[in-house]
Amino acid sequence: MKKVVIENAVVIKRDRLNGDCRSLTIGNFPKSRLLKPGQFVHIRIPGPDVYFRRAFSVYDINPRAKSLQVIFKIVGRGTALLAELRKGDRLNVMGPLGKGFDFPFLRDKVILIAGGIGMPPIYFLAKKLIESKYDRRKILFFYGGKTKKELVNMAHIRKLGIKLYPTTDNGSYGFRGFVTKAVREFLNTETGQFRIYACGPQAMLRAVEEIARKYSIPGQISVEAPMPCGMGICQGCVLPLVSGGYTRVCRDGPVYQFGEVLL
Amino acid sequence: MKPDLSVVIGGIKFKNPIWTASGTCGYGEELAEVFDLSRLGGMVTKSITSNPREGHPPPRTTETVSGMLNAIGLANVGVDRFIKEKLKFLERFNTRVIVNVAGAKLQEYVEVCAQLADCPRADMVELNFSCPNVEAGMAIATNASLAEKTVSEVKKVFPRPVIAKLSPNVTDITQIAKACEAGGAEALSLINTLIGMAVDIETFRPRLTNNTGGLSGPAIKPVALAMVHKVYKAVKIPIIGLGGIRNYLDVIEFLLCGARAVQIGTALFVEPETPIKIIRDLEKYLSRKKIENIQELVGQLRIY
Ligand SMILES: Cc1cc2nc3c(=O)[nH]c(=O)nc-3n(C[C@H](O)[C@H](O)[C@H](O)COP(=O)(O)OP(=O)(O)OC[C@H]3O[C@@H](n4cnc5c(N)ncnc54)[C@H](O)[C@@H]3O)c2cc1C
Ligand SMILES: Cc1cc2nc3c(=O)[nH]c(=O)nc-3n(C[C@H](O)[C@H](O)[C@H](O)COP(=O)(O)O)c2cc1C
Repeated sequence: MKKVVIENAVVIKRDRLNGDCRSLTIGNFPKSRLLKPGQFVHIRIPGPDVYFRRAFSVYDINPRAKSLQVIFKIVGRGTALLAELRKGDRLNVMGPLGKGFDFPFLRDKVILIAGGIGMPPIYFLAKKLIESKYDRRKILFFYGGKTKKELVNMAHIRKLGIKLYPTTDNGSYGFRGFVTKAVREFLNTETGQFRIYACGPQAMLRAVEEIARKYSIPGQISVEAPMPCGMGICQGCVLPLVSGGYTRVCRDGPVYQFGEVLL
Repeated sequence: MKPDLSVVIGGIKFKNPIWTASGTCGYGEELAEVFDLSRLGGMVTKSITSNPREGHPPPRTTETVSGMLNAIGLANVGVDRFIKEKLKFLERFNTRVIVNVAGAKLQEYVEVCAQLADCPRADMVELNFSCPNVEAGMAIATNASLAEKTVSEVKKVFPRPVIAKLSPNVTDITQIAKACEAGGAEALSLINTLIGMAVDIETFRPRLTNNTGGLSGPAIKPVALAMVHKVYKAVKIPIIGLGGIRNYLDVIEFLLCGARAVQIGTALFVEPETPIKIIRDLEKYLSRKKIENIQELVGQLRIY
């Protein structure tokens, strides 16, 4: 029955990315191979005044090195402390947690939409699709940020050999405007059997679902909510369901079908 | 020689005094993915009510210094589904199951406990007289004669031991404790959460939609210890202590203050394996101190 592991892991690499974003590669996590796109790890951040663990989507794994990578943005006390960790520092990691993305049909054209720090799970999905022999030419990656500074690790995405559509709200890089506007314009000229996967701010996810409804495209979103336990016990991270009642984001999500949660 | 961790409460033997607290271990399904529940002395399931409850709108929880505020609003599957699915799931584990029951009024406690009477897997019931997040819960929590009456009515329908779980949000907790003892409770558990508030200074709004919530975690341990000790001196029935326990040192403090067993709550959210570590560390401590049975520690506090 044991499915979730809790490890005293170790920082093996840390990188400062654009703006307030950081990357941490975490080693000594033997079960990293079990981590699926859309799933997350719950990290205990050593330091004062940070009581709960913090949730981070998996950005990448290296099963042979027993490591995983997360990318995060400094938004508060916990992430500020996390940014101070150095190579060799210990940190306690729990996972795999949550439900990941369902894979598309092989024939589908896959539209990936990432907004800001919602990029990590979308990148991981793209990478796993390619490893699973999905056709690179059928995977399109829309990646939006407020400014160029918010777009990180573009080189990684480019290396996947898929079509990348960067967008910025102010036009400082790529398409000018919301990422969902770029998707809409794309869909106005393209035809085919599509499937969409998206992660980003709530307003973006709402716009994505609107597009999906208009064009009748199936797909999934990954949502977030502050989570105390991350395992489905406390019922603290709930969101309302369209069908009524609440869903525990940490356990029933964080990935949902379009139209499932009330955004 | 391996020290003896077992304790007896209400005539029922527990392999060790480490239980998990109501609302912090669900119905066991999730925690079972982390460790074998059979290693626990006991497990107190999430409060159940007659009918399913969805709970309060989010946000329901917020982090505070050394703890958290919660206003889940007693979200639960209701007693029918609890018996059919959740108790059934717990059958495979060799641990004591204590079913926590909440109600809007006396009659609801009695009805739910009557249904549980026919379920041998429910080794005991714990009456949640203390949930600060639903108004009715507080009525019984703060009214000694109503608490006594509720216990005695439940005793008429439930054939196994009954625990009353007490609220710290009262002027004198010993009055309620004595009333529950008089009503026939075999044990008392304390404390439930303390009423608290957190405010968002940008929006001028409370951080919980319920406005207030229950404070738990390490922040409340000193309050819990003081109350356990006060109640220990006031009643004869065993006390199960809880509030902010993180490690075996905390557990020993509770035992010295008079608790015969303890429950681990919020700590499970941060370190789900806490109970397992505590059991292991308690064995080491007892061996080192050459204490044969953990019960020898209960109430051994040397007050000034
Ligand atoms: C499943 C999941 C996956 C996530 N993946 C990533 C990721 O890959 N990269 C990344 O940078 N962030 C991710 N997050 C968000 C991340 O957990 C929060 O940014 C982090 O918890 C903030 O901690 P803090 O102590 O720095 O901020 P705090 O001081 O706690 O809060 C700062 C601000 O962040 C908000 N916040 C706090 N916790 C969360 C939370 N869990 N979710 C949303 N908002 C929160 C608070 O309301 C506040 O506005 C994810 C969240 C979830 C639930
Ligand atoms: C999220 C959450 C939910 C809880 N739900 C219940 C409940 O349903 N019934 C109950 O009697 N106590 C409930 N409690 C209270 C705990 O059982 C316990 O009394 C309290 O949290 C103090 O212990 P702790 O500091 O170790 O967590 C809940 C506590 C938390 C944090």
